[in-house]
Amino acid sequence: MKKKPTLFIAVCLIPTLLLTIGLMVIPMCNAVYLSFTDSTALSTAQTRQFIGLENYIYMFKDKSFIQALGNTMKLLLVVPVVTLFFSLIFAFLLTQSRIREKGFYRSVFFFPSVISLTVVGIIWSFVFNPTKGILNHILAFLKLENLQHAWLGESKTALWCVAAALIWQAAGYYMVMYIASIDGISEEVYEAAAIDGAGAFQKFKCITVPLLRNTIGITYVLALSGTINLSFTLSNVMTAGGPNGASSVLLQYMYTQGMRNANYGYSMSIAMFTLLMAIILAVISRKVTHNNEG
Amino acid sequence: MNEDRLRRNLANWTLRIILIFFTVIFVYPFIWNLICSIKTNTEYLTDPYALPSSIHIENYVNAFKKANMGAYFLNSVYVVILSVGLLMVFVIPAAYVLARYRFKGSKVITTLYMACIFLQPTYIMIPLFLEVQKINGLNNLTVLSLVYAVMQFPFAIFTLLGFIEALPTGYEEAARIDGGTNFGILIRVVVPLCKPGIATITMLTAMGFWSEYPLALVLVTDELKRTIPIGLANLFEVQKYATDWGAMFAGLIIVLIPTLIIYLIGQKQLLQGITLGGIKG
Repeated sequence: MKKKPTLFIAVCLIPTLLLTIGLMVIPMCNAVYLSFTDSTALSTAQTRQFIGLENYIYMFKDKSFIQALGNTMKLLLVVPVVTLFFSLIFAFLLTQSRIREKGFYRSVFFFPSVISLTVVGIIWSFVFNPTKGILNHILAFLKLENLQHAWLGESKTALWCVAAALIWQAAGYYMVMYIASIDGISEEVYEAAAIDGAGAFQKFKCITVPLLRNTIGITYVLALSGTINLSFTLSNVMTAGGPNGASSVLLQYMYTQGMRNANYGYSMSIAMFTLLMAIILAVISRKVTHNNEG
Repeated sequence: MNEDRLRRNLANWTLRIILIFFTVIFVYPFIWNLICSIKTNTEYLTDPYALPSSIHIENYVNAFKKANMGAYFLNSVYVVILSVGLLMVFVIPAAYVLARYRFKGSKVITTLYMACIFLQPTYIMIPLFLEVQKINGLNNLTVLSLVYAVMQFPFAIFTLLGFIEALPTGYEEAARIDGGTNFGILIRVVVPLCKPGIATITMLTAMGFWSEYPLALVLVTDELKRTIPIGLANLFEVQKYATDWGAMFAGLIIVLIPTLIIYLIGQKQLLQGITLGGIKG
Protein backbone atom coordinates (compact mmCIF):
# COMPACT_ATOMS: atom_id res chain seq x y z
CA MET A 1 0.00 0.00 0.00
CA LYS A 2 1.35 3.39 -0.95
CA LYS A 3 -0.27 6.50 0.44
CA LYS A 4 -3.21 5.88 2.68
CA PRO A 5 -6.30 7.95 1.83
CA THR A 6 -6.98 8.89 5.45
CA LEU A 7 -10.06 10.96 4.74
CA PHE A 8 -11.65 8.20 2.68
CA ILE A 9 -10.99 5.62 5.37
CA ALA A 10 -12.43 7.88 8.04
CA VAL A 11 -15.61 8.64 6.09
CA CYS A 12 -16.18 4.96 5.35
CA LEU A 13 -15.52 3.70 8.83
CA ILE A 14 -16.37 6.30 11.47
CA PRO A 15 -20.20 6.43 11.05
CA THR A 16 -20.42 2.64 11.11
CA LEU A 17 -18.16 2.46 14.12
CA LEU A 18 -20.04 5.16 16.04
CA LEU A 19 -23.33 3.35 15.51
CA THR A 20 -21.81 0.07 16.62
CA ILE A 21 -20.48 1.70 19.77
CA GLY A 22 -23.74 3.53 20.45
CA LEU A 23 -26.12 0.62 19.89
CA MET A 24 -24.02 -2.42 20.75
CA VAL A 25 -20.98 -1.62 22.88
CA ILE A 26 -22.59 0.95 25.17
CA PRO A 27 -25.76 -1.14 25.82
CA MET A 28 -23.49 -4.08 26.56
CA CYS A 29 -21.45 -2.02 29.05
CA ASN A 30 -24.68 -0.69 30.53
CA ALA A 31 -25.96 -4.22 30.94
CA VAL A 32 -22.85 -5.15 32.89
CA TYR A 33 -23.02 -1.98 34.97
CA LEU A 34 -26.76 -2.24 35.72
CA SER A 35 -26.33 -5.82 36.86
CA PHE A 36 -24.35 -4.50 39.85
CA THR A 37 -26.99 -1.90 40.80
CA ASP A 38 -30.47 -1.88 42.29
CA SER A 39 -31.82 0.10 39.31
CA THR A 40 -35.57 0.03 38.73
CA ALA A 41 -37.99 2.10 36.66
CA LEU A 42 -38.40 4.43 39.65
CA SER A 43 -34.74 5.06 40.38
CA THR A 44 -32.73 7.73 38.57
CA ALA A 45 -29.03 7.84 37.85
CA GLN A 46 -28.63 9.66 41.19
CA THR A 47 -30.74 7.42 43.40
CA ARG A 48 -29.67 4.02 42.15
CA GLN A 49 -27.13 2.30 44.31
CA PHE A 50 -24.15 0.20 43.45
CA ILE A 51 -24.78 -3.03 45.31
CA GLY A 52 -21.93 -5.22 44.13
CA LEU A 53 -22.79 -8.87 43.71
CA GLU A 54 -26.05 -8.70 45.65
CA ASN A 55 -28.21 -9.38 42.56
CA TYR A 56 -26.11 -12.38 41.71
CA ILE A 57 -26.41 -13.73 45.24
CA TYR A 58 -30.14 -13.07 45.44
CA MET A 59 -30.62 -15.01 42.18
CA PHE A 60 -29.88 -18.30 43.85
CA LYS A 61 -32.46 -17.67 46.56
CA ASP A 62 -35.08 -16.79 43.94
CA LYS A 63 -37.21 -19.88 43.30
CA SER A 64 -38.47 -18.61 39.93
CA PHE A 65 -34.91 -18.05 38.77
CA ILE A 66 -33.85 -21.52 39.85
CA GLN A 67 -36.83 -22.95 38.00
CA ALA A 68 -35.95 -21.01 34.82
CA LEU A 69 -32.33 -22.11 35.13
CA GLY A 70 -33.36 -25.73 35.57
CA ASN A 71 -35.67 -25.55 32.56
CA THR A 72 -32.94 -23.97 30.42
CA MET A 73 -30.52 -26.71 31.49
CA LYS A 74 -33.04 -29.41 30.55
CA LEU A 75 -33.46 -27.82 27.11
CA LEU A 76 -29.69 -27.51 26.68
CA LEU A 77 -29.19 -31.17 27.52
CA VAL A 78 -31.82 -32.43 25.10
CA VAL A 79 -32.46 -29.97 22.26
CA PRO A 80 -28.99 -29.58 20.67
CA VAL A 81 -28.26 -33.32 20.71
CA VAL A 82 -31.63 -34.36 19.28
CA THR A 83 -31.62 -31.56 16.69
CA LEU A 84 -28.14 -32.37 15.44
CA PHE A 85 -28.92 -36.07 15.40
CA PHE A 86 -31.82 -35.49 13.01
CA SER A 87 -29.83 -32.94 11.01
CA LEU A 88 -27.01 -35.44 10.49
CA ILE A 89 -29.37 -38.23 9.48
CA PHE A 90 -31.20 -35.98 7.00
CA ALA A 91 -27.92 -34.72 5.55
CA PHE A 92 -26.55 -38.24 5.23
CA LEU A 93 -29.69 -39.62 3.60
CA LEU A 94 -29.92 -36.74 1.16
CA THR A 95 -26.28 -36.81 0.10
CA GLN A 96 -25.95 -40.57 -0.19
CA SER A 97 -29.12 -41.35 -2.04
CA ARG A 98 -29.62 -41.16 -5.77
CA ILE A 99 -33.27 -40.18 -5.44
CA ARG A 100 -34.24 -37.67 -8.10
CA GLU A 101 -36.37 -35.40 -5.90
CA LYS A 102 -33.87 -34.97 -3.07
CA GLY A 103 -33.65 -31.21 -3.69
CA PHE A 104 -37.34 -31.06 -2.82
CA TYR A 105 -36.81 -32.75 0.55
CA ARG A 106 -33.93 -30.42 1.31
CA SER A 107 -36.12 -27.38 0.65
CA VAL A 108 -38.94 -28.77 2.76
CA PHE A 109 -36.75 -29.64 5.74
CA PHE A 110 -34.95 -26.31 5.59
CA PHE A 111 -38.06 -24.14 5.33
CA PRO A 112 -39.13 -24.12 9.03
CA SER A 113 -35.81 -22.52 9.99
CA VAL A 114 -36.36 -19.42 7.84
CA ILE A 115 -39.88 -18.59 9.02
CA SER A 116 -40.78 -16.32 11.89
CA LEU A 117 -40.45 -17.93 15.33
CA THR A 118 -43.79 -16.37 16.22
CA VAL A 119 -45.33 -18.47 13.46
CA VAL A 120 -43.50 -21.57 14.69
CA GLY A 121 -44.77 -20.94 18.20
CA ILE A 122 -48.37 -20.52 17.08
CA ILE A 123 -48.31 -23.51 14.74
CA TRP A 124 -47.01 -25.72 17.52
CA SER A 125 -49.52 -24.34 19.98
CA PHE A 126 -52.14 -25.83 17.67
CA VAL A 127 -50.31 -29.11 17.41
CA PHE A 128 -50.48 -29.34 21.21
CA ASN A 129 -53.93 -27.80 21.66
CA PRO A 130 -55.82 -30.08 24.07
CA THR A 131 -59.18 -30.14 22.27
CA LYS A 132 -58.41 -29.22 18.65
CA GLY A 133 -54.74 -30.15 18.53
CA ILE A 134 -53.14 -32.33 15.89
CA LEU A 135 -51.28 -34.50 18.41
CA ASN A 136 -54.29 -35.44 20.51
CA HIS A 137 -56.24 -36.02 17.31
CA ILE A 138 -53.62 -38.49 16.08
CA LEU A 139 -53.58 -40.22 19.47
CA ALA A 140 -57.36 -40.57 19.34
CA PHE A 141 -57.12 -41.96 15.82
CA LEU A 142 -54.60 -44.55 17.03
CA LYS A 143 -56.91 -45.40 19.95
CA LEU A 144 -54.29 -44.17 22.39
CA GLU A 145 -56.61 -41.83 24.31
CA ASN A 146 -54.84 -42.62 27.57
CA LEU A 147 -51.73 -40.89 26.24
CA GLN A 148 -53.57 -37.65 25.57
CA HIS A 149 -52.51 -34.63 27.60
CA ALA A 150 -53.30 -30.96 27.86
CA TRP A 151 -49.64 -30.59 26.75
CA LEU A 152 -49.05 -26.84 27.06
CA GLY A 153 -51.38 -26.67 30.03
CA GLU A 154 -49.62 -29.29 32.13
CA SER A 155 -46.45 -28.48 34.02
CA LYS A 156 -44.92 -31.86 33.22
CA THR A 157 -45.23 -31.53 29.46
CA ALA A 158 -45.16 -27.78 28.69
CA LEU A 159 -41.36 -27.44 28.51
CA TRP A 160 -41.07 -30.43 26.19
CA CYS A 161 -43.60 -28.91 23.83
CA VAL A 162 -41.29 -25.91 23.54
CA ALA A 163 -38.39 -28.33 23.00
CA ALA A 164 -40.27 -30.08 20.18
CA ALA A 165 -40.91 -26.79 18.43
CA LEU A 166 -37.24 -25.83 18.81
CA ILE A 167 -36.06 -29.10 17.29
CA TRP A 168 -38.58 -28.96 14.46
CA GLN A 169 -37.53 -25.48 13.39
CA ALA A 170 -33.74 -25.95 13.73
CA ALA A 171 -33.11 -29.44 12.30
CA GLY A 172 -33.16 -28.30 8.67
CA TYR A 173 -30.84 -25.41 9.37
CA TYR A 174 -28.01 -27.58 10.64
CA MET A 175 -28.80 -30.14 7.95
CA VAL A 176 -27.78 -27.53 5.37
CA MET A 177 -24.44 -27.05 7.11
CA TYR A 178 -23.86 -30.79 7.22
CA ILE A 179 -24.76 -31.23 3.57
CA ALA A 180 -22.13 -28.64 2.66
CA SER A 181 -19.53 -30.48 4.75
CA ILE A 182 -20.43 -33.91 3.42
CA ASP A 183 -20.17 -32.57 -0.13
CA GLY A 184 -16.61 -31.68 0.82
CA ILE A 185 -15.80 -35.33 1.57
CA SER A 186 -14.40 -36.99 -1.52
CA GLU A 187 -16.81 -39.28 -3.33
CA GLU A 188 -14.00 -41.87 -3.57
CA VAL A 189 -13.94 -42.45 0.17
CA TYR A 190 -17.54 -43.64 0.09
CA GLU A 191 -16.98 -45.65 -3.07
CA ALA A 192 -13.96 -47.39 -1.56
CA ALA A 193 -16.02 -48.22 1.51
CA ALA A 194 -18.82 -49.59 -0.68
CA ILE A 195 -16.35 -51.83 -2.49
CA ASP A 196 -15.16 -53.11 0.90
CA GLY A 197 -18.77 -54.01 1.57
CA ALA A 198 -19.74 -51.24 3.97
CA GLY A 199 -23.47 -50.69 4.37
CA ALA A 200 -25.16 -47.33 4.80
CA PHE A 201 -24.99 -47.47 8.57
CA GLN A 202 -21.29 -48.30 8.57
CA LYS A 203 -20.57 -45.52 6.11
CA PHE A 204 -22.42 -43.11 8.36
CA LYS A 205 -20.66 -44.26 11.50
CA CYS A 206 -17.15 -44.76 10.13
CA ILE A 207 -16.85 -42.02 7.51
CA THR A 208 -19.43 -39.26 7.86
CA VAL A 209 -19.40 -38.76 11.61
CA PRO A 210 -15.60 -38.87 12.14
CA LEU A 211 -14.84 -36.63 9.15
CA LEU A 212 -17.50 -34.16 10.23
CA ARG A 213 -16.28 -34.00 13.82
CA ASN A 214 -15.14 -30.40 13.50
CA THR A 215 -18.39 -29.27 11.86
CA ILE A 216 -20.35 -31.14 14.49
CA GLY A 217 -18.39 -29.30 17.18
CA ILE A 218 -19.17 -25.92 15.62
CA THR A 219 -22.84 -26.68 15.07
CA TYR A 220 -23.13 -27.95 18.65
CA VAL A 221 -21.90 -24.61 19.93
CA LEU A 222 -24.32 -22.79 17.59
CA ALA A 223 -27.17 -25.03 18.72
CA LEU A 224 -26.42 -24.36 22.39
CA SER A 225 -26.49 -20.62 21.87
CA GLY A 226 -29.53 -20.92 19.60
CA THR A 227 -31.43 -22.92 22.19
CA ILE A 228 -30.79 -20.36 24.92
CA ASN A 229 -31.77 -17.52 22.64
CA LEU A 230 -34.69 -18.91 20.64
CA SER A 231 -36.37 -20.55 23.62
CA PHE A 232 -37.19 -16.99 24.74
CA THR A 233 -39.48 -16.30 21.80
CA LEU A 234 -41.05 -19.76 21.71
CA SER A 235 -41.71 -19.92 25.42
CA ASN A 236 -43.08 -16.37 25.35
CA VAL A 237 -45.45 -17.08 22.46
CA MET A 238 -46.50 -20.64 23.33
CA THR A 239 -46.90 -20.59 27.10
CA ALA A 240 -45.66 -17.21 28.40
CA GLY A 241 -43.52 -19.36 30.70
CA GLY A 242 -46.52 -21.10 32.22
CA PRO A 243 -48.15 -22.97 33.77
CA ASN A 244 -46.63 -21.57 36.97
CA GLY A 245 -43.23 -21.06 35.42
CA ALA A 246 -43.01 -24.69 34.30
CA SER A 247 -41.77 -23.65 30.85
CA SER A 248 -40.01 -20.41 31.74
CA VAL A 249 -36.43 -20.07 30.53
CA LEU A 250 -33.62 -17.75 31.60
CA LEU A 251 -34.01 -15.01 28.99
CA GLN A 252 -37.74 -15.07 29.40
CA TYR A 253 -37.40 -14.60 33.15
CA MET A 254 -34.98 -11.78 32.42
CA TYR A 255 -37.66 -10.18 30.22
CA THR A 256 -40.34 -10.62 32.88
CA GLN A 257 -38.15 -9.06 35.56
CA GLY A 258 -37.01 -6.22 33.28
CA MET A 259 -40.10 -5.27 31.31
CA ARG A 260 -42.99 -6.45 33.50
CA ASN A 261 -41.55 -5.74 36.96
CA ALA A 262 -39.12 -3.01 35.80
CA ASN A 263 -36.31 -4.43 37.97
CA TYR A 264 -33.61 -3.40 35.51
CA GLY A 265 -30.68 -4.20 37.79
CA TYR A 266 -31.83 -7.67 38.70
CA SER A 267 -32.94 -8.39 35.15
CA MET A 268 -29.51 -7.50 33.79
CA SER A 269 -27.75 -9.71 36.31
CA ILE A 270 -29.83 -12.58 34.91
CA ALA A 271 -28.83 -11.59 31.37
CA MET A 272 -25.15 -11.48 32.29
CA PHE A 273 -25.38 -14.79 34.10
CA THR A 274 -26.98 -16.34 31.00
CA LEU A 275 -24.39 -14.83 28.66
CA LEU A 276 -21.55 -16.07 30.85
CA MET A 277 -23.11 -19.52 30.98
CA ALA A 278 -23.44 -19.56 27.18
CA ILE A 279 -19.79 -18.57 26.73
CA ILE A 280 -18.53 -21.15 29.22
CA LEU A 281 -20.60 -23.93 27.62
CA ALA A 282 -19.33 -22.91 24.18
CA VAL A 283 -15.70 -22.95 25.31
CA ILE A 284 -16.07 -26.33 27.02
CA SER A 285 -17.75 -27.99 24.06
CA ARG A 286 -15.17 -26.58 21.64
CA LYS A 287 -12.38 -27.93 23.88
CA VAL A 288 -13.98 -31.37 23.99
CA THR A 289 -14.45 -31.67 20.23
CA HIS A 290 -10.93 -30.39 19.57
CA ASN A 291 -9.30 -32.83 21.97
CA ASN A 292 -11.06 -35.74 20.37
CA GLU A 293 -9.66 -34.68 17.05
CA GLY A 294 -6.01 -34.82 18.02
CA MET B 1 -27.59 -57.11 -13.03
CA ASN B 2 -31.34 -57.19 -12.80
CA GLU B 3 -31.22 -58.27 -9.19
CA ASP B 4 -28.86 -55.41 -8.42
CA ARG B 5 -31.25 -52.90 -9.87
CA LEU B 6 -34.10 -54.41 -7.91
CA ARG B 7 -32.14 -54.07 -4.69
CA ARG B 8 -31.29 -50.48 -5.45
CA ASN B 9 -34.90 -49.73 -6.23
CA LEU B 10 -36.00 -51.29 -2.96
CA ALA B 11 -33.42 -49.26 -1.04
CA ASN B 12 -34.55 -46.09 -2.81
CA TRP B 13 -38.17 -46.74 -1.93
CA THR B 14 -37.42 -47.46 1.72
CA LEU B 15 -35.52 -44.21 1.86
CA ARG B 16 -38.30 -42.40 0.09
CA ILE B 17 -40.86 -43.59 2.62
CA ILE B 18 -38.69 -42.34 5.48
CA LEU B 19 -38.23 -38.97 3.78
CA ILE B 20 -41.93 -38.65 2.96
CA PHE B 21 -42.76 -39.40 6.59
CA PHE B 22 -40.58 -36.46 7.68
CA THR B 23 -41.96 -34.29 4.88
CA VAL B 24 -45.41 -34.83 6.36
CA ILE B 25 -44.14 -33.79 9.80
CA PHE B 26 -42.67 -30.63 8.32
CA VAL B 27 -45.49 -29.73 5.95
CA TYR B 28 -48.70 -30.91 7.58
CA PRO B 29 -48.86 -28.19 10.28
CA PHE B 30 -48.68 -25.57 7.52
CA ILE B 31 -51.41 -27.22 5.49
CA TRP B 32 -53.61 -27.60 8.54
CA ASN B 33 -53.24 -23.86 9.19
CA LEU B 34 -53.92 -23.02 5.57
CA ILE B 35 -57.14 -25.05 5.60
CA CYS B 36 -58.25 -23.51 8.88
CA SER B 37 -57.65 -20.07 7.43
CA ILE B 38 -60.43 -20.55 4.89
CA LYS B 39 -63.00 -21.97 7.31
CA THR B 40 -65.71 -20.23 9.26
CA ASN B 41 -65.49 -20.21 13.04
CA THR B 42 -68.27 -22.76 13.39
CA GLU B 43 -66.58 -25.05 10.92
CA TYR B 44 -63.32 -24.78 12.86
CA LEU B 45 -64.99 -25.37 16.20
CA THR B 46 -67.10 -28.36 15.13
CA ASP B 47 -64.32 -30.19 13.32
CA PRO B 48 -60.93 -28.61 12.69
CA TYR B 49 -59.98 -31.52 10.42
CA ALA B 50 -62.86 -31.48 7.99
CA LEU B 51 -62.52 -29.62 4.72
CA PRO B 52 -64.44 -26.33 4.55
CA SER B 53 -67.77 -26.24 2.72
CA SER B 54 -66.51 -23.33 0.67
CA ILE B 55 -63.51 -21.00 0.68
CA HIS B 56 -64.00 -18.20 3.18
CA ILE B 57 -61.78 -15.41 1.95
CA GLU B 58 -63.47 -13.04 4.41
CA ASN B 59 -61.11 -14.34 7.11
CA TYR B 60 -58.33 -12.61 5.22
CA VAL B 61 -60.37 -9.44 4.88
CA ASN B 62 -61.06 -9.53 8.63
CA ALA B 63 -57.42 -10.12 9.42
CA PHE B 64 -56.37 -7.18 7.27
CA LYS B 65 -59.06 -4.77 8.42
CA LYS B 66 -60.36 -5.68 11.86
CA ALA B 67 -57.23 -7.28 13.26
CA ASN B 68 -54.96 -4.56 11.86
CA MET B 69 -52.75 -7.07 10.05
CA GLY B 70 -52.74 -4.79 7.00
CA ALA B 71 -51.16 -1.94 8.98
CA TYR B 72 -48.69 -4.31 10.64
CA PHE B 73 -47.81 -5.74 7.25
CA LEU B 74 -46.97 -2.29 5.89
CA ASN B 75 -45.01 -1.44 9.04
CA SER B 76 -42.93 -4.56 8.56
CA VAL B 77 -42.36 -3.89 4.87
CA TYR B 78 -41.13 -0.40 5.75
CA VAL B 79 -38.82 -1.73 8.47
CA VAL B 80 -37.38 -4.51 6.31
CA ILE B 81 -36.63 -2.25 3.34
CA LEU B 82 -35.19 0.56 5.43
CA SER B 83 -33.05 -1.66 7.64
CA VAL B 84 -31.59 -3.60 4.71
CA GLY B 85 -30.85 -0.27 2.98
CA LEU B 86 -29.20 1.21 6.07
CA LEU B 87 -27.25 -1.97 6.63
CA MET B 88 -25.75 -1.84 3.14
CA VAL B 89 -24.98 1.90 3.25
CA PHE B 90 -22.97 1.51 6.44
CA VAL B 91 -21.49 -1.91 5.96
CA ILE B 92 -20.17 -1.92 2.40
CA PRO B 93 -17.76 1.04 2.79
CA ALA B 94 -16.63 -0.16 6.22
CA ALA B 95 -15.96 -3.70 5.05
CA TYR B 96 -14.14 -2.42 1.97
CA VAL B 97 -11.82 -0.20 3.99
CA LEU B 98 -11.15 -2.95 6.53
CA ALA B 99 -10.37 -5.42 3.76
CA ARG B 100 -8.09 -3.21 1.68
CA TYR B 101 -6.16 -0.97 4.08
CA ARG B 102 -3.99 -1.62 7.09
CA PHE B 103 -4.00 1.31 9.50
CA LYS B 104 -3.78 1.99 13.18
CA GLY B 105 -6.72 0.24 14.82
CA SER B 106 -7.85 -1.78 11.82
CA LYS B 107 -7.01 -5.05 13.56
CA VAL B 108 -8.80 -4.00 16.74
CA ILE B 109 -11.91 -3.01 14.80
CA THR B 110 -12.01 -6.29 12.88
CA THR B 111 -11.62 -8.22 16.14
CA LEU B 112 -14.40 -6.15 17.74
CA TYR B 113 -16.81 -7.12 14.97
CA MET B 114 -15.79 -10.78 15.15
CA ALA B 115 -16.47 -10.79 18.89
CA CYS B 116 -19.83 -9.07 18.45
CA ILE B 117 -21.09 -11.79 16.08
CA PHE B 118 -21.86 -13.89 19.12
CA LEU B 119 -23.71 -11.16 20.95
CA GLN B 120 -27.42 -11.87 20.56
CA PRO B 121 -29.67 -8.78 20.71
CA THR B 122 -31.89 -10.50 23.30
CA TYR B 123 -29.19 -10.06 25.95
CA ILE B 124 -29.08 -6.29 25.54
CA MET B 125 -32.76 -5.65 24.81
CA ILE B 126 -33.36 -3.88 28.11
CA PRO B 127 -30.38 -1.48 27.99
CA LEU B 128 -31.38 -0.80 24.38
CA PHE B 129 -34.94 -0.10 25.50
CA LEU B 130 -33.67 2.34 28.16
CA GLU B 131 -31.34 4.06 25.69
CA VAL B 132 -33.96 4.40 22.97
CA GLN B 133 -36.48 5.61 25.53
CA LYS B 134 -34.02 8.32 26.60
CA ILE B 135 -33.78 9.71 23.06
CA ASN B 136 -37.57 9.45 22.61
CA GLY B 137 -37.15 6.80 19.96
CA LEU B 138 -39.72 4.28 21.18
CA ASN B 139 -42.55 3.52 18.76
CA ASN B 140 -40.48 4.95 15.92
CA LEU B 141 -40.13 2.50 13.05
CA THR B 142 -37.15 4.38 11.60
CA VAL B 143 -35.29 4.04 14.90
CA LEU B 144 -36.26 0.37 15.04
CA SER B 145 -34.85 -0.12 11.53
CA LEU B 146 -31.59 1.53 12.50
CA VAL B 147 -31.28 -0.71 15.56
CA TYR B 148 -32.02 -3.77 13.40
CA ALA B 149 -29.36 -2.72 10.88
CA VAL B 150 -26.71 -2.16 13.55
CA MET B 151 -27.41 -5.55 15.14
CA GLN B 152 -26.45 -7.16 11.81
CA PHE B 153 -23.28 -5.07 11.29
CA PRO B 154 -20.96 -7.77 12.70
CA PHE B 155 -22.38 -10.58 10.56
CA ALA B 156 -22.52 -8.46 7.40
CA ILE B 157 -19.03 -7.00 7.84
CA PHE B 158 -17.60 -10.41 8.58
CA THR B 159 -19.19 -11.92 5.46
CA LEU B 160 -18.31 -9.02 3.13
CA LEU B 161 -14.77 -8.77 4.47
CA GLY B 162 -14.09 -12.35 3.45
CA PHE B 163 -15.73 -11.71 0.10
CA ILE B 164 -13.75 -8.56 -0.73
CA GLU B 165 -10.45 -10.03 0.43
CA ALA B 166 -10.95 -12.84 -2.07
CA LEU B 167 -11.42 -10.40 -4.97
CA PRO B 168 -8.39 -9.63 -7.15
CA THR B 169 -7.21 -6.01 -6.79
CA GLY B 170 -6.53 -5.66 -10.52
CA TYR B 171 -9.85 -4.02 -11.38
CA GLU B 172 -9.47 -1.42 -8.67
CA GLU B 173 -5.91 -0.61 -9.77
CA ALA B 174 -6.96 -0.28 -13.39
CA ALA B 175 -9.75 2.09 -12.39
CA ARG B 176 -7.31 4.09 -10.29
CA ILE B 177 -4.93 4.49 -13.26
CA ASP B 178 -7.90 5.74 -15.27
CA GLY B 179 -8.24 8.47 -12.65
CA GLY B 180 -11.08 7.05 -10.57
CA THR B 181 -11.60 8.47 -7.10
CA ASN B 182 -11.80 6.21 -4.08
CA PHE B 183 -15.58 6.60 -3.81
CA GLY B 184 -16.00 6.14 -7.54
CA ILE B 185 -14.04 2.90 -7.41
CA LEU B 186 -16.01 1.68 -4.40
CA ILE B 187 -19.36 2.28 -6.06
CA ARG B 188 -18.58 1.47 -9.70
CA VAL B 189 -16.03 -1.33 -9.32
CA VAL B 190 -16.26 -2.97 -5.90
CA VAL B 191 -20.02 -3.00 -5.39
CA PRO B 192 -20.78 -4.73 -8.71
CA LEU B 193 -18.09 -7.32 -7.99
CA CYS B 194 -19.60 -7.96 -4.54
CA LYS B 195 -23.11 -8.54 -5.86
CA PRO B 196 -23.31 -12.22 -4.88
CA GLY B 197 -22.16 -11.46 -1.33
CA ILE B 198 -24.56 -8.52 -1.09
CA ALA B 199 -27.43 -10.65 -2.38
CA THR B 200 -26.76 -13.34 0.22
CA ILE B 201 -26.62 -10.82 3.07
CA THR B 202 -29.77 -9.12 1.82
CA MET B 203 -31.69 -12.40 1.70
CA LEU B 204 -30.61 -13.59 5.13
CA THR B 205 -31.04 -10.30 6.95
CA ALA B 206 -34.34 -9.43 5.23
CA MET B 207 -35.77 -12.78 6.40
CA GLY B 208 -34.43 -12.07 9.88
CA PHE B 209 -35.87 -8.54 10.02
CA TRP B 210 -39.26 -9.72 8.80
CA SER B 211 -39.40 -12.25 11.64
CA GLU B 212 -37.65 -10.35 14.43
CA TYR B 213 -39.46 -10.65 17.75
CA PRO B 214 -37.51 -9.66 20.93
CA LEU B 215 -36.43 -6.13 19.96
CA ALA B 216 -39.75 -5.22 18.33
CA LEU B 217 -41.41 -6.41 21.53
CA VAL B 218 -39.59 -3.89 23.71
CA LEU B 219 -39.00 -1.00 21.29
CA VAL B 220 -42.60 -0.73 20.05
CA THR B 221 -45.39 -0.35 22.58
CA ASP B 222 -47.91 1.58 20.48
CA GLU B 223 -50.46 -0.85 19.05
CA LEU B 224 -50.55 0.83 15.64
CA LYS B 225 -46.76 0.78 15.20
CA ARG B 226 -46.37 -2.96 15.75
CA THR B 227 -44.48 -5.09 13.27
CA ILE B 228 -46.14 -8.20 11.94
CA PRO B 229 -44.58 -10.87 14.24
CA ILE B 230 -45.65 -8.90 17.33
CA GLY B 231 -49.05 -8.16 15.82
CA LEU B 232 -49.57 -11.84 15.08
CA ALA B 233 -48.39 -12.97 18.54
CA ASN B 234 -50.81 -10.51 20.04
CA LEU B 235 -53.65 -11.63 17.81
CA PHE B 236 -52.96 -15.20 18.92
CA GLU B 237 -52.99 -14.10 22.56
CA VAL B 238 -56.31 -12.28 22.10
CA GLN B 239 -57.91 -15.18 20.22
CA LYS B 240 -57.62 -17.34 23.31
CA TYR B 241 -60.47 -15.23 24.73
CA ALA B 242 -62.21 -13.92 21.62
CA THR B 243 -63.65 -16.08 18.89
CA ASP B 244 -62.40 -15.01 15.49
CA TRP B 245 -60.19 -18.03 14.82
CA GLY B 246 -60.37 -17.67 11.06
CA ALA B 247 -58.73 -14.25 11.12
CA MET B 248 -55.93 -15.60 13.33
CA PHE B 249 -55.15 -18.42 10.89
CA ALA B 250 -55.39 -15.99 8.00
CA GLY B 251 -52.97 -13.67 9.79
CA LEU B 252 -50.51 -16.51 10.14
CA ILE B 253 -50.66 -17.27 6.44
CA ILE B 254 -50.25 -13.56 5.64
CA VAL B 255 -46.98 -13.54 7.62
CA LEU B 256 -45.81 -16.68 5.85
CA ILE B 257 -46.47 -15.70 2.25
CA PRO B 258 -43.64 -13.15 1.78
CA THR B 259 -41.20 -15.55 3.47
CA LEU B 260 -42.28 -18.34 1.17
CA ILE B 261 -41.90 -16.16 -1.93
CA ILE B 262 -38.40 -14.97 -0.97
CA TYR B 263 -37.53 -18.54 -0.07
CA LEU B 264 -38.55 -19.85 -3.47
CA ILE B 265 -36.70 -17.09 -5.31
CA GLY B 266 -33.58 -16.85 -3.19
CA GLN B 267 -33.04 -20.31 -1.79
CA LYS B 268 -29.63 -20.57 -3.42
CA GLN B 269 -28.38 -17.39 -1.75
CA LEU B 270 -29.84 -18.46 1.58
CA LEU B 271 -28.15 -21.83 1.47
CA GLN B 272 -24.86 -20.17 0.53
CA GLY B 273 -25.20 -17.67 3.32
CA ILE B 274 -25.68 -20.37 5.91
CA THR B 275 -22.70 -22.35 4.76
CA LEU B 276 -20.65 -19.13 4.90
CA GLY B 277 -21.34 -18.88 8.60
CA GLY B 278 -24.97 -18.53 9.39
CA ILE B 279 -27.02 -16.43 11.72
CA LYS B 280 -30.45 -16.79 13.10
CA GLY B 281 -32.72 -15.03 15.47
